[in-house]
Amino acid sequence: METYVDAIGAGDTAATTTTSGAGDTAAKMMETATAAKPIKKKLKVMVAIDESKNSFYALEWAVEHLRDVISAEPETNQEGGLLTLVHVHPTYLQYIYPTGGTDSVPESMRKAREENTTKLFTRALEICRGKMVKTETMIIEGDAKEMICQAVEQTHVDLLVVGSRGLGMIKRALLGSVSDYCAQHAKCPILIVRPPKETSTSKQ
Amino acid sequence: MATGDEKPVMVIGIDESEQSVYALEWTLDRFFAPYAPNHPFKLFIVHAKPNAVSAVGLAGPGTAEVVPYVDADLKHTAARVVEKAKAICQSKSVHDTTIEVFEGDARNILCEVVDKHHASVLVVGSHGYGAIKRAVLGSVSDYCSHHAHCSVMIVKKPKIKV
Repeated sequence: METYVDAIGAGDTAATTTTSGAGDTAAKMMETATAAKPIKKKLKVMVAIDESKNSFYALEWAVEHLRDVISAEPETNQEGGLLTLVHVHPTYLQYIYPTGGTDSVPESMRKAREENTTKLFTRALEICRGKMVKTETMIIEGDAKEMICQAVEQTHVDLLVVGSRGLGMIKRALLGSVSDYCAQHAKCPILIVRPPKETSTSKQ
Repeated sequence: MATGDEKPVMVIGIDESEQSVYALEWTLDRFFAPYAPNHPFKLFIVHAKPNAVSAVGLAGPGTAEVVPYVDADLKHTAARVVEKAKAICQSKSVHDTTIEVFEGDARNILCEVVDKHHASVLVVGSHGYGAIKRAVLGSVSDYCSHHAHCSVMIVKKPKIKV
């Protein structure tokens, strides 16, 4: 339905435009525990994306399967859930200083990066379009795994969705795995979406 | 193709720990209870009962006598786990779930069950072990997230109540 686009660069904090604050969530949870009839509380889901195919697959999977749990139903006036797309920039720019020493090269790199990010989010929002899901976006700079976990804490989401590059054991140990780190350190439940096998047996 | 859509399958693995109970309740709360009776997923609850012989394995001489007791104890634990799961489902008014118990190593069983039912999601709790415990005891949630043929959702019990 509506799409909020928030672009924040070089930020340690991320501003969100959620309608329900953390206090509401806590109150709702207590209600659910004691109420006789179940309260339809929709989930706030955060999906971490980068340029890799797997994270887009994760986004598609999430929208497909979690649509029921996130989307708002227009006939009842319950509050809908929220889908947050978060993208983390690695901060590599500061290590690159061309010998020429002019400002233009970092400038153009920054612009290229922004273009990249915009393209990324355009693709992502395409996927979310028409699914009746309130979507917002966040851009953070820093180390992917730590920033994602921080973002989770700050926005109090109910579920974090990440793709998995499907690295083997050795690569995982050497390169580090964002999904592994988040699985261990994120403060909320995490859903790791694995890439589909070539021979798909159970596709809808 | 068929008259109705085949519901995607969700498998949740449980043991007797508190974290598992929390994971089951969380999942039922978020994904099933509000949508009764038309749940968005078909749910299989799976408990892996450790094999008595492997559980006793490292004890040394005299283990042969202990095995029957260990086995009986494990069976009791499994029965308790199943009862608890049934009670939780009842309390959330979630029917139409299947509870299965298998014997063997949890990691392998969960991955096999996923394949058997062509599950879309596997849900597991997490004991929240630190790095060392994880390396020594092994982590079922870690293993499953790398080896299961479907998406894996790890539900952690929050340490501090928000």
